[in-house]
Amino acid sequence: MSLGVLLVDDEPLIRSGLRAVIDSEDDLAVVGEAEDGAAVTPLVRRLRPDVVVMDVRMPVVDGIEATRRLIANVDDPPRILILTTFENDDFVLEALRAGAAGFLLKRARPDELVRAIRLLAAGESLLFPSAIRELVLRSSPVAPPSGLDAAGLTEREAEVLRLVAQGLSNGEIAAQLVVSLETVKTHVARVLAKLDARDRTQAVIRAYESGFIARGW
Amino acid sequence: MLTSGRTWRRYAYLVIGAALVAPYPTLAGFVAPALEGGLGVDAAWAVAVVICCVALPIATGMLAAVRGLQITAAHLLLGADLGDDEPTHGELAWSTRRRSGAWFAAHLVVGAVVGSLTVVMPPAVVSAISAPFVTGDVQLGRLDPTIPGGPGSAWVVPLALLAPFALVYLAAGAGALLARAAPRLLGPSPLEQLAIVRHRADRLAERNRLARELHDSVGHALAIVTVQAGAAGHVLDSDPAFVRQALTDIETSARNGLRDLDHVLGLLRDDAPASARVPTPTLADLQRLVDSTRSAGIDVAAELTGSIDEIPQAVSREAYRIIQESLTNVARHAGAVPVDLRLTVDDQQLELELSNPLRGIRATRAGGGRGLEGMRERVASLRGEVSAGAESGRWRVAVSLPLHPVP
Repeated sequence: MSLGVLLVDDEPLIRSGLRAVIDSEDDLAVVGEAEDGAAVTPLVRRLRPDVVVMDVRMPVVDGIEATRRLIANVDDPPRILILTTFENDDFVLEALRAGAAGFLLKRARPDELVRAIRLLAAGESLLFPSAIRELVLRSSPVAPPSGLDAAGLTEREAEVLRLVAQGLSNGEIAAQLVVSLETVKTHVARVLAKLDARDRTQAVIRAYESGFIARGW
Repeated sequence: MLTSGRTWRRYAYLVIGAALVAPYPTLAGFVAPALEGGLGVDAAWAVAVVICCVALPIATGMLAAVRGLQITAAHLLLGADLGDDEPTHGELAWSTRRRSGAWFAAHLVVGAVVGSLTVVMPPAVVSAISAPFVTGDVQLGRLDPTIPGGPGSAWVVPLALLAPFALVYLAAGAGALLARAAPRLLGPSPLEQLAIVRHRADRLAERNRLARELHDSVGHALAIVTVQAGAAGHVLDSDPAFVRQALTDIETSARNGLRDLDHVLGLLRDDAPASARVPTPTLADLQRLVDSTRSAGIDVAAELTGSIDEIPQAVSREAYRIIQESLTNVARHAGAVPVDLRLTVDDQQLELELSNPLRGIRATRAGGGRGLEGMRERVASLRGEVSAGAESGRWRVAVSLPLHPVP
């Protein structure tokens, strides 16, 4: 069965281009389109896509607000891939904080788009770890770095979080730490729970913003 | 301190001050004899000194060109922090001229002291050091005091050796004091600061507007071109119909993008001042005005009753302009005083009241008669009313503007 994708962008020509690329892949299918964030939650309820590919800036309800509504109102919401024209857009970080799983530049190549959708749907590793790092570190800090001591991560969990931030998949982390895949999955799940993070992206943003991972890396 | 470049640069600044003193006593020397016939010797010299050595230096300091030189010199030699803003152009305000005159006088006085000591000290030090080794009284350089010669005067030597160091420290201290006073006497006045801050805010707004324009127009077009071209390449073999359509769309988007780029570049090339291109501000921009006024030292307590959203643009623009002019008047006539600003909006009219404590006699100059007259005319054209005047120790401007004027 193929992965269902919902396209949300106020520009029809962006949607038609993305649709042509996605529909040309055997394992992906566009199940619906919307031209504003307001339509996303009802469409997701009806079409149950696996991934929502959504522009961050839209005239009425933008990508941030649409992400928030989706996470708050839909059980087991789909993964959200934010599209942006410009890298240094504060909106993108805000959307990631709100719960989007990753972001992609509109100037990305078609194969990068399909790779991103597959990666996000699998949820196994971070999309563009260095881009996320850039995005967080370039933004002005929301709070003074306080570390993640309060979260009470074990040493092993902290190690896993660092590897997640580097973009390693569960399998790669297992190989690096010489433990089983199941163990890594348990660690990742615990890290997410302790950081109250929806997914790896949110956990990594927390890790950077808290200063848990130093700015120098 | 002795090895610090800053100390010696400040020293140089003071010595320049000493050199600038020279013409004034010389001039007094010419003027006094000419007056002696009418006034008597003592009075003639007193008048000549007051005119040539007090009034004239201060007047020199008031000249705009001298002020410019002093700002540059104080920045380069004293290391005074005068801000990095472009100096304001046009006529200098009298308050600014007075401050510049005071600065020039201070430079000359302090410079004269340090400069004289610099000239007098070396021969005095040399003769003092020689005193223990000679017989007979030793004169201190060209100074009047003498020291008896012989071993009994050995105590003078360490003092003489310390004296040059003391002079350098004195110069450094005086330079530091001047550097600290410089911002107050050479820096921009509250009014000029206001203009600078406003200019900067306008430039920033302009830049943001152009960035937004580029983002919305050219960025948008290029995003479409990229996505469509990428997709067309991706499905070239499997979906020729899409490719054909994509090429058309790419052409249209690229053409629109170029047109928009042309427009934005035209704005950038345009020599017209930013204010001519930025849309006239309205009450929606009030917060920025209040903030910039605040950073110029005038604290504005603004209070809004009702909503400014429904105010017609023409009324909103005029209200903004009245507030802006009034705040400028406050800066000009009363200086850095707190200002109360009250805006009341209902569905019939906008009422605006701005008041500040009166300060000094200048406040009675009716807030710049011409400005107020212009304000009256513009308000009248909107069927509104203005009243302005002093009231129990405060200057008060009250304006009411109907939101929907009946012609």
